[in-house]
Amino acid sequence: MQWYYIYWREMLLLYKKIGKLGYIFSSIMMPLLYLFAFGLGLGGRDITGGNYVEFLAKGIIGITVMMNAFQQTSLSVSIGRFYFGTFQTVILSPIKNWQIIFGLSLAGVVRGMLMGFVVYGVAWMFFDISSISPLAVLAIFISAFCFSALGLVVGLYVNNPDALSLVNNFLLMPMTLFCGSFFPITNLPAWIGSIIEKLPLSIVNSLVRTDVLGPSVWQDISILILIGLACLWLGTNMLTRYSE
Amino acid sequence: MSFSLMTSAKQEKSGKISDLSHLVPVLELNRTGKTYGKHQVLQDISFRVNKGEIFGLLGPNGAGKSTLMKIITGLTKPDSGQISILGYDAIKERSEIKPLISFVPQINNLEKELTVSQALRIYGQIFGIKNIKTRLEEILDEFKLHDFKDKEIQHLSGGMSRRVLIARAILTKPKFLLLDEPTVGLDPDIRWDIWDIILNLAKSGTTIFLSTHYMDEAQKLCQRVALLRLGILVDVDTPDNIIKKVKITDGQTASLETAFIKLLGGCCA
Repeated sequence: MQWYYIYWREMLLLYKKIGKLGYIFSSIMMPLLYLFAFGLGLGGRDITGGNYVEFLAKGIIGITVMMNAFQQTSLSVSIGRFYFGTFQTVILSPIKNWQIIFGLSLAGVVRGMLMGFVVYGVAWMFFDISSISPLAVLAIFISAFCFSALGLVVGLYVNNPDALSLVNNFLLMPMTLFCGSFFPITNLPAWIGSIIEKLPLSIVNSLVRTDVLGPSVWQDISILILIGLACLWLGTNMLTRYSE
Repeated sequence: MSFSLMTSAKQEKSGKISDLSHLVPVLELNRTGKTYGKHQVLQDISFRVNKGEIFGLLGPNGAGKSTLMKIITGLTKPDSGQISILGYDAIKERSEIKPLISFVPQINNLEKELTVSQALRIYGQIFGIKNIKTRLEEILDEFKLHDFKDKEIQHLSGGMSRRVLIARAILTKPKFLLLDEPTVGLDPDIRWDIWDIILNLAKSGTTIFLSTHYMDEAQKLCQRVALLRLGILVDVDTPDNIIKKVKITDGQTASLETAFIKLLGGCCA
């Protein structure tokens, strides 16, 4: 249960920051801008063969969860290592490495889900959309876990926090634009679509929009869980070999 | 491995260490080395720190003090040599050592958004302290922090932050405390305050290893010091003996500062 204190520390810091306008805006401002710009601008058009705003809102949840879960862990670890030295406190503690990794990633899951629900709540208030299914909630949870664990690995890997912008610009941003958040992947040329559909955010978007459990759903869930577990394993190993 | 140790007779005479049982090694370094790329930062460092001692690490900028401090804390892995802390192998048995030592870094790495009380409590919980509530009250009393306990760290002065930083390290009742430049950038009165805290900790049996730029600090606090230059250990001895080893010319005062300049050349890298 030692992981709980690592998790609790992150939650305390999140609680302190979340009341600050700048923090909440940096967490959800971009997804909300996407929601309102595309929702108001394209909401009446038949892009997806159904309610576009509902399609968009569920895609925006995927983006929000990905960004926030990833940022929570990657920034906490990298800034804690290089700027504030706060990560030293964690790494010098007697808590086992896997428990540190687990506690940190759980904090990423909470922030990712929290911000995802806030954005969906705003979408629900301003647009004509339905509630999300229990399967979508499960998908959001697994997505948050996957990207939170990925953020940990990246946070431990980078040599300075500025290197995070490379991941943001070359991985997260392309996924945001291409992975089916704004339009169906099937609209893309087939060869691009066949690559894009294998990326984690595409899988998340597909899951969030699905209501019925089926073999492909289980396969998608399994892939995300495996990515998350692989990142946790990698993170634990990186922590064991950690040397400044 | 040969260690240049202060004799027990001298220690007793100096009045700083009064008990022979203190000559139990808490830290032993044997030919410790570290290289970053092609740059050898530390080369064959060997010395030991005894139980109850306040041991100083002196050297100019770039001498390798911070790297050595990080190696001892476990933040950096050495490339060569052996290190033993409290009888445990510092590399292979790090998990045994972690609950027994505390580190006060040079930078304030307290979580600035938290209050003093929150920062201390969560640290204690992470370090597995039983009865954290009682221990927290004790430490707030000991460090006269009660009036500040609900204040956020970011609103504390530099001196008070340093006080909290040391209080946090002591919360776990460590057997071995490492302080990296504990009074750097502080006003003289606060430095004296911190010195009192360090001396009281040593009196209560905590072994202390500190790095410092201030010769007056080393002279006031340390029973022995290690002099480091360009990653090489120049000498390990008592401040008094080091002063005696240096030839004083006309117009110079016999002090640790003069010895430091003469032995280490005043600058590095």
